[in-house]
Amino acid sequence: MDIANLPIRKLNTLFNKKDLKPSELYSKIFDNAVGSEASLHAHLTLFEEENIKKAKESDGRFEKGTAQSLLDGIPLAIKDNINIKGYKTTCSSKMLSNYTSPYDATVIKKLKESEALFTGKTNLDEFAMGSSTENSAFGLTKNPWDTDFVPGGSSGGSAASVGARSSIAALGSDTGGSIRQPASFCGLVGFKPTYGTVSRYGLIAFASSLDQIGPITKTVDDSRILFSAISGQDSRDATSIANDQVDIPSDKTAKIGVIKELMEDGISDEARNEVSKVIETLKTSGYEVKEISIPIIKLAISIYYLIAPAECSANLARFDGVRYGLRIDGNTSYEMMENTRAEGFGKEVKRRILLGTYALSAGYYDEYYGKALQARKEMIDEFTRAFNEVDYLISPTTPTQAFKAGEKTSNPLEMYMSDLCTIPANLAGLPAISIPTGVTNDNLPLGVQIMSRALSDESLLNFSEIIEKEIQFDQQPKGWV
Amino acid sequence: MNCFQTTLRIKVSKDFDIQNIAKLASINLSEDEQEKLAKDLSIILEHVKALSDLELNTEQKEIYIHPLEKELELQEDELVESLTHEEALSNAPESKDGKFVVPPSME
Repeated sequence: MDIANLPIRKLNTLFNKKDLKPSELYSKIFDNAVGSEASLHAHLTLFEEENIKKAKESDGRFEKGTAQSLLDGIPLAIKDNINIKGYKTTCSSKMLSNYTSPYDATVIKKLKESEALFTGKTNLDEFAMGSSTENSAFGLTKNPWDTDFVPGGSSGGSAASVGARSSIAALGSDTGGSIRQPASFCGLVGFKPTYGTVSRYGLIAFASSLDQIGPITKTVDDSRILFSAISGQDSRDATSIANDQVDIPSDKTAKIGVIKELMEDGISDEARNEVSKVIETLKTSGYEVKEISIPIIKLAISIYYLIAPAECSANLARFDGVRYGLRIDGNTSYEMMENTRAEGFGKEVKRRILLGTYALSAGYYDEYYGKALQARKEMIDEFTRAFNEVDYLISPTTPTQAFKAGEKTSNPLEMYMSDLCTIPANLAGLPAISIPTGVTNDNLPLGVQIMSRALSDESLLNFSEIIEKEIQFDQQPKGWV
Repeated sequence: MNCFQTTLRIKVSKDFDIQNIAKLASINLSEDEQEKLAKDLSIILEHVKALSDLELNTEQKEIYIHPLEKELELQEDELVESLTHEEALSNAPESKDGKFVVPPSME
């Protein structure tokens, strides 16, 4: 088997046994990244020189038996809205095309302590706003399974990078599905941890009460390893929390709920079939599976598209041409700001800033934002009730398989609908994972999503691993390794 | 249909002032952009008004910003490592004498 296909634990074993050197793995990964870049455009930046040096240092540690962690010498791709000191962080926006990070995000600091390698920065929808990576100011990323199709978004570059074996794993960020949806479209595992378990310090903020960093990987175990490395309370993120995990059963005593509202209208037969397949497998293994209704899920898109733009309009107010980023001159400071923001932001970002500004403006605040916050609380309560009955909730990750580039760009609402199944977990702060389970008639992959109660991330990963072993999805996009 | 929904519909169709919103958001929009974005926002707002049908017993519902309903903790006021002056200015479009430089506030 090609080394680029191997999971992290296996690679670490090979390093320890001296059957493989981190520098050999890096060389292979870098060749893959360079080879696929022209067709896929997964990356905005690829790092090379510094990694050759770092990979050799890693070789030395395995030689001496002083390796730092399971991630020592493992090449990881990083979404370009996460700061790495000394490198550009563009958020795929003209606004930040020349921004060089003066500090490390907390997740990067932790991964540096683990001695992981960073292969480069990956493409995204501008400021993580989108579901296809078509909103990038620096060109679109293509799906490694079929380049006519989108890789999903907003972490589409991270998913395409791992899919094409241009990195062993990647970090993405997930505000309404931006890790899980591209993972599903690219046949990978995508994990959004419980809100607050991973510090957001150094992640360029989009919607702060929803944003969460997490891994995109080939296996559930790889996601577990990355989650373990990046989680933990951080004094630099006041919303971060201690990772005090609650233990829930993952064996046959676990009760499974299928979300009724996410198996109805708006969900393709193919997406439904993947869920049915997993349910049958679980039933055959002896699990109790029942239907659970969470009626407010029908309103998830409406709640999200008030709360996320409201928070976005406040967060993106910082891009004013004064302290960093683009500046377009004007006769006064105000003119300069208006000109800078007109030129620096793309269409979708402007759309969301304006929507959020409207929802928060005098006279409309209570009707829009206030109502959405109340509905969000209701959603949290409905999930709490559901988790009194079952341990895990299962649904499709995405209503359909990947769509073609250009297919949904003319109607913003249609694009928003592709996040129907993933948004609820962000609104309720729950851990949620997408695991690949099959391919469609078009030979495009599809995943199934599993959610569990807050702070049961490790149990969720254990349960997902059981499904992963039962389903044995072993396909990958062809032509990249 | 309740009265809330009726009110909302009127506001979306008649009072949606894209120029004012763009001013509040400090974004200079071309006429073409104004027209397209106003249309997009009307479509989105038409969709989100589904929320107005939701009957909630709001008096009993406290609103939390943190989805896990966590009380945010205050930190001790301590000096910790932060960006240096040079680092803080390193991305500025224009700076002088250790300060950010901006155009005048008034003409």
